Amino acid sequence: MWAFIFLAIPVSFYLVVVIYPLVSSFYYSFTDWNGFSDTYNFVGLDNFERMKTDRLFRNAIENTVLWTAAAIVVPTTIGLLIALALHERGILSRVYKSLFYLPICLSLVVIGQVWIWIYQPGFGLINIVLKEIGLSQYMRAFLADPDTALQSVIAAWSWQQIATAMVIFLAGLTAVPKELTEAAEIDGAGYWRTVRHVIVPLLRPASIVVIALSVINSLKSFDILYMMTRGGPFHSSDNLAMMMYNESFQKYYMGYGSAVAVVLFLITLVVIIFYFRQQRGLEQLYD
Amino acid sequence: MTEATRAVSIPVDSASATSRRAPLSARLRTVILYLLLTALLILYSLPSIGVVLTSLKSNAEIGREGIWTLPDQASLENFRVAWETGNAQKYLLNSLKVTIPATVISILFGVLTGYALSKLSFPGSDSLFTFLVAGMFIPPQVVMIPLFRMFNRAGLYDTLWPMIIVHIGFGIPICTLVMKNFFSTIPTAIREAAVIDGANELRVLIRVMLPLSLPSLAVLATLQFTWIWNDFLWPVIFTRSDDARTIMFGLASLRGQYSVAYGTQSAMALIASVPTLVIFIFFQKYFIRGLTLGSVKG
Repeated sequence: MWAFIFLAIPVSFYLVVVIYPLVSSFYYSFTDWNGFSDTYNFVGLDNFERMKTDRLFRNAIENTVLWTAAAIVVPTTIGLLIALALHERGILSRVYKSLFYLPICLSLVVIGQVWIWIYQPGFGLINIVLKEIGLSQYMRAFLADPDTALQSVIAAWSWQQIATAMVIFLAGLTAVPKELTEAAEIDGAGYWRTVRHVIVPLLRPASIVVIALSVINSLKSFDILYMMTRGGPFHSSDNLAMMMYNESFQKYYMGYGSAVAVVLFLITLVVIIFYFRQQRGLEQLYD
Repeated sequence: MTEATRAVSIPVDSASATSRRAPLSARLRTVILYLLLTALLILYSLPSIGVVLTSLKSNAEIGREGIWTLPDQASLENFRVAWETGNAQKYLLNSLKVTIPATVISILFGVLTGYALSKLSFPGSDSLFTFLVAGMFIPPQVVMIPLFRMFNRAGLYDTLWPMIIVHIGFGIPICTLVMKNFFSTIPTAIREAAVIDGANELRVLIRVMLPLSLPSLAVLATLQFTWIWNDFLWPVIFTRSDDARTIMFGLASLRGQYSVAYGTQSAMALIASVPTLVIFIFFQKYFIRGLTLGSVKG
């Protein structure tokens, strides 16, 4: 009785704001709704058929895959290295940790803004440095160049993601028994071999969380892309989320946009299933 | 080994407790490590340093020397411009109007669901828990179109309401997760004792459980406030006019308006970041605890 009273409002709220729209997205993906009219037609699988030949969709998929690949590799390795460097290094390391954590609390809008200035052709930091060290042939307008726009946005995005990964790895490191690492070093394993053969395997639970979080964030990423390139130039930095936004809220192909949203959801679902499989495997391993 | 160590180690840096008894080579290694870390930290903080420098410079100086030099004469003029002509005041107020109710209500909902699902469990409550938490993984873009239609029909387009409502809805998963996990750690006997004393469930929840759950509430408050404050997607979808702009949307649209006034933009970016920075500095412990949920226990 009380359980029902406590649950009624939150659960109804959740159903209306999260679940009903999720189901509706599937529904709209079979229509040609334009976003404004009250009527629309059912078009069956037309929207999904259209993806097969849509070069923008293909491009968005490729970019999303690149982003996801970067999300798996970059924050994980750099975050782990900084975490290792900061773990148990005396009182000073606490101050350093806080300073490294800082990007976590910043909005991606702010981060995008700042990184625009780093890439800026005239006074951007990267171009200034390239010029100073005599590599001026590599100077360019990084965000306005289709060859570098996406990679530049991903790098800026990783800046924050590295901090998140580091936090999680540092928490994971506190759970690594000191006796084990000391024993390995006494056996003459050396620091890097201890890291590779003792610490990294013990960090598996943390690594799975870092990778899953990073991949899911990469699939969602929109703010920073909107801020820095809006998917341009010439759609060269579009990901699925940005393409979906363009189709639905710029071109008003809400039906087609919904179909893209459905694809995005299915990709996320695969990641989540993989994540829970790994988690369950770990639980069995440790029980 | 220990004796030899003591003989050679001269306490140069007594602040570092762990290295007090380490051999000289190890201490040298620590020093080198810190030098490297400092270099890395400076590199890593360059973006943040850049904004602060720019915000203190006049536009003339930025035009002359770019943004990566120290200001000749630091001034707060940019902050005044952002505050008065850049509408920072209005946007901040809008952000607060969205963030505070959404944070409070989503946590309140999490308390209710978390308590019901852990202490008043019933057949199917575990599935309901999974169902409520699963929402955490849904990319917001997936539900963007139906929500747009829903709010349009309800006449709420271009108001602050859609953002409040959506943030509450999408906050339910994390709040349910944290609160249920917390309530599960409280012995059932505590609740039963109160119930035997004649208290009803609502009373037990408010009088007995809530005081115990302050740390978890703090974790959620820091996380939810930061996420909602920093959000940019929903304002883009649900608002159009200047009056309904949150600070993040205001900051983003400033970029289009005054594309050269870098000083104003930096000042605005800093103003927009102050609330989350303050929370981060003072409640870092809770923030970190929230971020590392589930990563340690495996």
